[in-house]
Amino acid sequence: MKFAKKISGLLAGALITVATVGIVHAGSDVPPLAPLGDPPIPADNKLSDVKVKLGKMLFWDPRLGGDASTGCVTCHEPDQGWGFGDALSRGYPGTVHWRNSQTVVNSAYLMKLFWVGAASSLEKQAPSAAKGGVAGNGENDVMEARLAFIPEYRKLFKQSFGTDWPLISDAWKAIASFERTLIHNNTPLDKYLRGDKKALSAQQKRGLELFNGKAGCIACHNGALATDQKYYNLGVPPSERWGEDGLAQITFRYEQFAKGVTQKMYRKIKDDAGLYYRTKQKVDMGKFRTPPLRYLKYTAPYMHNGSFWDLTEVVEFYNQGGGENDFTDGTMAKSKSPLIKPLGLSEKEVEDLVAFLDAFSGEELVVEPPTLPPYAPLPNPAKN
Amino acid sequence: MKTFGSKTRFMLALSTGLIGSIVFLGTVIAGQNNQGPIKPIKVDAKKAELGKRLFFDQRLSGDAAISCATCHQPDKGFSDGLALSKAYPGSKGFRNTPTLINTATRKNWFHDSRIGTNLNDVTREMITEDYIMNMDMRLMQERLKQDPVYVKMFKDAGYGEPSNGSVRKAIPEYLKTLTSRNSPFDKGSMTPAAKRGYELFKGKAQCASCHSGANFTNDKVYNLGVPENPEIWSDPMRHMTYVAFGTFMGIGNIMNVRRDVGANILNPKADGSNIAKFATPTLRELKYTAPYMHNGMFNSLFEVVAFYNHGGGEDKNKDKNLKPLELTFGQQKDLVAFLEALSGDPLNTKEFVWKEKIPTNYTAIENWRAVKN
Repeated sequence: MKFAKKISGLLAGALITVATVGIVHAGSDVPPLAPLGDPPIPADNKLSDVKVKLGKMLFWDPRLGGDASTGCVTCHEPDQGWGFGDALSRGYPGTVHWRNSQTVVNSAYLMKLFWVGAASSLEKQAPSAAKGGVAGNGENDVMEARLAFIPEYRKLFKQSFGTDWPLISDAWKAIASFERTLIHNNTPLDKYLRGDKKALSAQQKRGLELFNGKAGCIACHNGALATDQKYYNLGVPPSERWGEDGLAQITFRYEQFAKGVTQKMYRKIKDDAGLYYRTKQKVDMGKFRTPPLRYLKYTAPYMHNGSFWDLTEVVEFYNQGGGENDFTDGTMAKSKSPLIKPLGLSEKEVEDLVAFLDAFSGEELVVEPPTLPPYAPLPNPAKN
Repeated sequence: MKTFGSKTRFMLALSTGLIGSIVFLGTVIAGQNNQGPIKPIKVDAKKAELGKRLFFDQRLSGDAAISCATCHQPDKGFSDGLALSKAYPGSKGFRNTPTLINTATRKNWFHDSRIGTNLNDVTREMITEDYIMNMDMRLMQERLKQDPVYVKMFKDAGYGEPSNGSVRKAIPEYLKTLTSRNSPFDKGSMTPAAKRGYELFKGKAQCASCHSGANFTNDKVYNLGVPENPEIWSDPMRHMTYVAFGTFMGIGNIMNVRRDVGANILNPKADGSNIAKFATPTLRELKYTAPYMHNGMFNSLFEVVAFYNHGGGEDKNKDKNLKPLELTFGQQKDLVAFLEALSGDPLNTKEFVWKEKIPTNYTAIENWRAVKN
C-alpha cells in the first residue's frame, strides 16, 4: 500500500518512541477505509420497537433536564446535523457549554464517547449529558419522579423493561436504543467501497488517494468508522469565546474545578487540556479523540471547540501542519502529535480532498419529531 | 415531650376546677418561657451586606431564574403569600414557605426540622437541592468570580476571593439581621383585646406550651392532624416533587404515600407514629406570612385558632395533648388580636433589601490569557 510508506517516513522523521503514541504501528497495519455495517447491539440492552419508540420520545423530552427545558435534542438538533450549529454547544440555561456538540448519528458504533472518551457506551453517555452542570443539569430523583407521572411513559417502560414504575437507568437504555437507529452507512463512500465505482466522482477518487496517501489522513481516520478512537493533539487553537465572553469564561473555570485539576493548574490553564482530565498525565494534555467522518457535511463547525466553520479550513489546517496551542508550545505541555506535519498539498489537492470528504455524507437523516405525552395525576393507591 | 408533660398536669388542674391555679400556672409558663423582644444579633456589617446581595441574586440558581428572595419576599415577611411554595422551574413545592425573620434564633430548620446544625447547612441545602435552586456550587462560585462587584465585596468582607464556602457564611450573616422589631407586644402597646388574648395564650389555650421563648417556638415537632393539602397529590408537578424529595430521603413505599410524612424522615418508626409531625413555627410576623401551617391550609389566623379550639384535626397519631379548648368566639378573637400584636415593622427597607440592580449577565475578563484564573 502506497500510503503505508508515506506514514513510515513521517514516523521515522519524527524520531518518536513507540510507547508514546498508539498510532506508531499504524504505518504498517492501519485498517483501510471500509463500508460500514450494522452497529453492535449490547446483549444487555437488546433493541425492540417499543424501546426505540420510547427512546425517541425521551430524546426529545425536556423534562429529562433540570428545569424541564433541556432535552437531548436541545444540543443535538436533527436539522443541525444532530449536533449544535455553533462552535460551543448551547449549554443549560444560564450557561454555555465549553465544547462542540457532536453528532448523534453513528454514535452507536463508538466505544469512546464524548471528546475524550469519558463514556464507553451510549447508556453511559446519556446520563452524563443529562446531569452535567452545563448540559442538562438534571438530577436522578427529579427526572425519575417526572417519568412516573406520565401515563404513556409508565406503559412504555413497562412494555420495554417490565417495571411498574419507570427507572431512570432504563430511560438511558431506551435513549441508547433510539440512538442505535440513527445510522448513516449508505454514503457515496460506502457504495464505492462496496463496489459501485461510479459512486465517487473523478475528483473524489483523487481525494481518496490523497486521504490514503500524501495527506496521511488514514493514519488516524481509518477502518470502517474512519476513526481509530485514539487521542491526539493537533494544535487546534483555543476557543475564541474564552477570551471575549464572560459566560464562556465561567464555564471554562468551572470545568477545571469540576474535573479536578490542581489549584496551581486551575490558576494557570487557559485552554482545554482534553484527555489530561481523565488520565492526569501531562503527555495527554490537549489530546482529543479522532472523530468519525460520516455525516460530516451536516455537522459544521468542526473540531472539539468548533474552531473551523468549513471543511476547507480543516484541510488547510492539516496542510500547514496543524496549529499551535498551550499544549504544543510548552506553555503547559508539548504533546503535539508527530503525525501532524506540513503536507505540501497544492490548492487543487486541497479541493480534491474536500470533495472526497463530501463522500462521507449521504442523504440528511430526517425523522418525524414525536408527540410528547403530558403529565397526569397518579391514581390513588388501592390501600395506603 | 417534657412541655406537654407539665401541660397534662395543667389539664388535670383545669378539670378539677382549680380556677385560681390556672392563672398561676400560666404565669409560671410564661415566666419560664421568657417571651420578650428578640435581641438584635451582632453582625459583621460587610459580610451581612454581601449576604444581602447574594440573597437577591438570581444567578445563585442553576438556570439563573430564581433567587432566595423569589420565595422569601421582604414585603411578605420573607415568605411568599402562597399556600405551597413555587420551587425551581420544572418542579413545584409541596410545603409552605416559612418566614426567615428570626430564623437565626432557631435550633432547627424546615417544617420537618431536618437540619439541626446551622444556617450554613441550611443555605447549602437550599442552593443545591434539585427542586429548590438546583445549583452546582462550583459553577456558582465561578459565576461570582466573574462579577467585579462580588470580587470586591468578598475581599472587603475578609473572605478573599469569592467561594462556595464564603457564600454559606455570608448569607447566614445577612439572615442574622432579620430580627423582629417594634411589635406591639415588644413595645408594651398591646390593645386590651390582645392583652386578654395573651392571658389565654399562656393559660386556657395553652399555646405557650409549644410556642415558647422569645421567638414563640420550642423547635420541636408535633402531629396536630392538620388536613392534607389535596393539591400536593392532585397536581402532578407537586406530587412528583414530593416523590423526588421522598426518594432522596428514603421514604418507604413512596409511590403510594398520600400524606406528607414530615419529620418521620428523621426518626421513622415501624408503627408510623412519627408520621406527619411538623415543627412548631414562630408566631412572629404572622401578619405578613399567611397562609399558615406547613402546607398553607389555613388562610387566616382565625381559622388557625378555630382549628386548635376544635382540638386540632383528624389523625390516628395526633398528639394526645391536643384537646378541644372550649374558647368562646370572643376569646378566639382576643387570641387572634394577640397573635397580630406579635408582628412588627416590615423588614423591607434598604437595610434589609438589596435595592440596586443586580446584573443578569457577565462581562468578560479582559486580557484573559494574561491574568490568573
